[in-house]
Amino acid sequence: MTSTAEHEGYASGTDPTATLKLRTITVPEPFVHPPEEAEPAPVVRRGVRDRYLDLLRALALVRVVIYHNFGWTWLPLLFPSMGVMFALAGSLMARSLNRPAWSVIRGRMRRLLPPMWMFGAVVLTAMIADGWGPHAEGHPNWWWGKLAFWVLPLSTPPFADTVHGFSGHLPTSWAEQCVVPLWYLRAYLWYVLLSPLMLKAIRRLPWVTLAVPLVLSAVLNSGLVDQSGRIMETATDFTTFGSCWLLGMAHQEGLLRRIPQYVVPSLAPLVLAAGFWWLQQAPVDDPRVGPDLEAVPLAQAIWSFGCVMLLLHLSPSWERWPKPLERFNGVITLLNSRAVTVYLWHCVALVLTEPLINPLWDNPFIYAHFRGVLTSQWLPLFVAVPLIAVALLLFGWVEDTAAKRSPRLFPYPRRSKGRRRA
Amino acid sequence: MSRHQRPRQSVLRPRRLAAPPLRFFLPLSVLVTLLALMVLRGMANNEVFHDEKVAVSVDKTTVPKSVLEGGPVVDSRGDKQDAPVSYTVPDKTVVLTFDDGPSTDWTPKILDVLAKEHIQADFFVTGSMTTRNPALIRRIVAEGHEIGVHTYTHPDLALHNNMRLGWELGETQLALAGVAGIHSSLFRPPYSSTADALDDWSWPVTKEVGKDGYLVAFIDKDTDDWKRPGVNAIVKAAMPDLAGQGEMILLHDAGGNRAQTLAALPIIIDKLKAEGYTFKTIGQALGAGSANTKVTGSTLWAGKAFVWATTFSVGLMPWLVVVLAVVGVLVFGRFALMLVLSLIHVRRTRKPGFSWGAPVTEPVSVIVPAYNEQECIANTLLSLAASDHPIEVIVVDDGSSDDTAALVEEMDLPMVRLIRQPNSGKPAALNTGVAAASYDLIVMMDGDTVFEPATVRELVQPFGDPRIGAVAGNAKVGNRDTLIGAWQHIEYVMGFNLDRRMYDVLDCMPTIPGAVGAFRREALHQVGGMSDDTLAEDTDVTMALHRAGWKIVYAENARAWTEAPGSMSQLWSQRYRWSYGTMQAMWKHRHAFFERGPGGRFGRIGLPFVALFMVFTPLLAPAIDIAMVYGVFFVDPYKSLLAWFAVLALQGFCAWWSFRLDREKAWYLITLPVQQVVYRVLMYMVLLQSWITALTGGRLRWQKLRRTGEVGLDVTTTEAVQS
Repeated sequence: MTSTAEHEGYASGTDPTATLKLRTITVPEPFVHPPEEAEPAPVVRRGVRDRYLDLLRALALVRVVIYHNFGWTWLPLLFPSMGVMFALAGSLMARSLNRPAWSVIRGRMRRLLPPMWMFGAVVLTAMIADGWGPHAEGHPNWWWGKLAFWVLPLSTPPFADTVHGFSGHLPTSWAEQCVVPLWYLRAYLWYVLLSPLMLKAIRRLPWVTLAVPLVLSAVLNSGLVDQSGRIMETATDFTTFGSCWLLGMAHQEGLLRRIPQYVVPSLAPLVLAAGFWWLQQAPVDDPRVGPDLEAVPLAQAIWSFGCVMLLLHLSPSWERWPKPLERFNGVITLLNSRAVTVYLWHCVALVLTEPLINPLWDNPFIYAHFRGVLTSQWLPLFVAVPLIAVALLLFGWVEDTAAKRSPRLFPYPRRSKGRRRA
Repeated sequence: MSRHQRPRQSVLRPRRLAAPPLRFFLPLSVLVTLLALMVLRGMANNEVFHDEKVAVSVDKTTVPKSVLEGGPVVDSRGDKQDAPVSYTVPDKTVVLTFDDGPSTDWTPKILDVLAKEHIQADFFVTGSMTTRNPALIRRIVAEGHEIGVHTYTHPDLALHNNMRLGWELGETQLALAGVAGIHSSLFRPPYSSTADALDDWSWPVTKEVGKDGYLVAFIDKDTDDWKRPGVNAIVKAAMPDLAGQGEMILLHDAGGNRAQTLAALPIIIDKLKAEGYTFKTIGQALGAGSANTKVTGSTLWAGKAFVWATTFSVGLMPWLVVVLAVVGVLVFGRFALMLVLSLIHVRRTRKPGFSWGAPVTEPVSVIVPAYNEQECIANTLLSLAASDHPIEVIVVDDGSSDDTAALVEEMDLPMVRLIRQPNSGKPAALNTGVAAASYDLIVMMDGDTVFEPATVRELVQPFGDPRIGAVAGNAKVGNRDTLIGAWQHIEYVMGFNLDRRMYDVLDCMPTIPGAVGAFRREALHQVGGMSDDTLAEDTDVTMALHRAGWKIVYAENARAWTEAPGSMSQLWSQRYRWSYGTMQAMWKHRHAFFERGPGGRFGRIGLPFVALFMVFTPLLAPAIDIAMVYGVFFVDPYKSLLAWFAVLALQGFCAWWSFRLDREKAWYLITLPVQQVVYRVLMYMVLLQSWITALTGGRLRWQKLRRTGEVGLDVTTTEAVQS
């Protein structure tokens, strides 16, 4: 009960006079409006990492990699990674925007684009080496023009639909598989560009603004709007996760703390139920796999909104790891400081597992004794993890350079910070 | 069941009471077992053709051409996964197959016909029909027919994943093993037809089943007998396209009226015999021996256990329906009663010019038992100082280990007296206070409760009626902005505005809340003061007052603000103590049932009410949620959810009504859906735990339980260890 008392603002240490001063005779007031509400709860100080957000980001990354390997449709329901990532980014963006908007946007682009250029340089080279070129679509000028999206991804950068696959070593659709993560960068760029406006809107009309992307998403996905084309693609993604981004901003602005605490956990289950219902009634591609959240934008929007609501409501603001999580400090720190690299390169790693695993089938001993391992979906994952580590070594430093930090090869902390302090 | 009783105490409960490691085990395992049994029952009773969703695809790009153009039996086992082989029924041979059975109505008659003609056929049975008609399966096997698997619940497997597929086949094999001791390696997918009807969605199923070692048997001739097209049409459809061509004919022996099938069967047999056909099972026709093998050992016993559990669960179901009906009647009846009686109460007490009697202006003694209340005691006393009724305040410090007493002394309020006593429990502290009280009207409150200026005056006004011996006030949750706080706020508002008004009208109020209640000293003396026989001394004394013939009423305007438990574990402890204490108090006063006069009235109306709504209903209430889950999966998802939401809507209406009566903001009701689910589970678990304690805690220790260390460590021991 002590904790509750503190929470309610009654306890003030053991000094009785201080206790007395807090009391007022206006009876029900302290109950109805706990004094806590008057002063905003302490915001995490600048420069101190909120480990909870780090944990969420790391979980989101791991979840994305696992999902792209296994394709389990229940995973996005368990943890809607993309919504969480956008919410975290939105929250950080709102925090930065007390500085001039243009310098913030420039800073964000400076951090985002170089890793993508690095990725683009490698993937474009590989695609061209595999027979892709200006004449792939029959419009050489368009082809050259669209390459600009590899510089500034306002729309999805172009890629080869089918190529030779390096004489059969890779599937012909390898390029398409590799660039799967690029939509995230495109969506992120648009959110960053529009953030100053979004922040203004959420300060002016918070609740309306939060609902706008959901409503727009419902309109876009109602079947009345033709969804083909590059512009609609961008618009669909923007509306799908717009509410999550705004929720992150609202969280940073303290909006969620201003409403009574019971509201969010009471509403979230209803929101989740609505999202789940929409998902269940949506038409499916493959009935044996079942509905996939990632394939139904409106369900994704609602479900992610509900989950992010809950996760941000919990938001315990850890300055230090709770005991059970301390041991994961290294991995989580690594994933956080190499988030863009991991995200960009994990699909390449997954594609590369195929030519690495295929020769094992020709080995009679392995074929005879370990066929279960060969057919298992886990094998590509175990091969992909070291490949991702290699990608971190090769390309991770770009993230440091882009952030104007001195480049590090593999930022895995030797010892957990929490332990050294203690 | 709203009441406030020393929540502060619940913080540092004895470990046994606060968190017995197994406290969730039994209640949850009961729920899980129940759910598992219902799943078994749901499978068994899933009527054929219940799952009517059928996949429709047009593309056949992935189906091998040889399969599309080949015979009805497809073998894609083992090495043949990527190069499946099709078998045709040899010329002048016919295989009769019966799907969806066995059914008690038609299968025996079909078997009679077959036996008369000395013909053996194939029966593709579902697991659910197998468990329901074990004798028929045994007869089919005994008469030399062949059994094939037709899944357990007859879904279109193209719409389900491999896990469901494995489960459909595995459970059906279990059922076959348990019923007839056989295993079948023949399979026919539900909603399948000829092999050339395979498409991109159904082919993976066939392939997957082959991986599991099954031969998949499609058909040559579909008689469409389930559409009941007439005997002649069935016979015509069964005849071969080319004379002498071997064929596999599909008929049904279950799933509706099969009189036409039964009538057509002898004609088909006669005609085909006349054309020189022989009748064989699939195994015989392919020359491969029977597809049914005997099972032994653990598989056999697993099968028997499965069939037994299914049979048991089928038998259990009617009882669950009864439970659900009882819960429904109780819940709806209670709400109806509460709505009517609360309306009567409001009409009565809010009538212009209503009064209990002459205005009460005499001074009142307010007793504040305090144990480690340093955070709140100042607030409590200052709120009393603002009282608009003449009072004296007696703070009984029950051996606090913190600064409670010092704080009270330091405040040095004129009307406050402090009595210190060694720690001896709340009832003793209250008795000390009563003994020291100067006046005849006594108000009792908690050390963490805050009164409004008018609370004491409003609370004692009913004493204008000399028959009234005690008054219950209106406790309000202060910390209502947290989730748990909001839940309890709803609970309190409903409890005080519906339950207590109802009990007031029925004249059998079971509890005066410890946070805000008033007593006549005379009445307290008559029942011997507060007793420490039970964990709920407030319920105990209230019941004693009833038996002594005093009237007890509810004063809605006497509001007291209290701090409700802030975490689930604290809430659990508090409710555990309340429900167990209530059970103790009811047991202590059980003889009231046979008494004459006012005691008997309470015993025959109040006690059954309390027993029904506070002790039995919560135990059964999760049936609502279990029935919903069951209904969503096995009956009709939308109707089940609709029923569930109807109950919720009713609760919502009652909650809204009570909020209106108390002029509270209805905004809090958005948390009602979550609250109802959580509370149902919580109260169910708490009550089951209380029952277990009551039944195993031993009647020997009933009276002085708290000294034995079972539940009742409660007061004395814990407080000594508290820091």
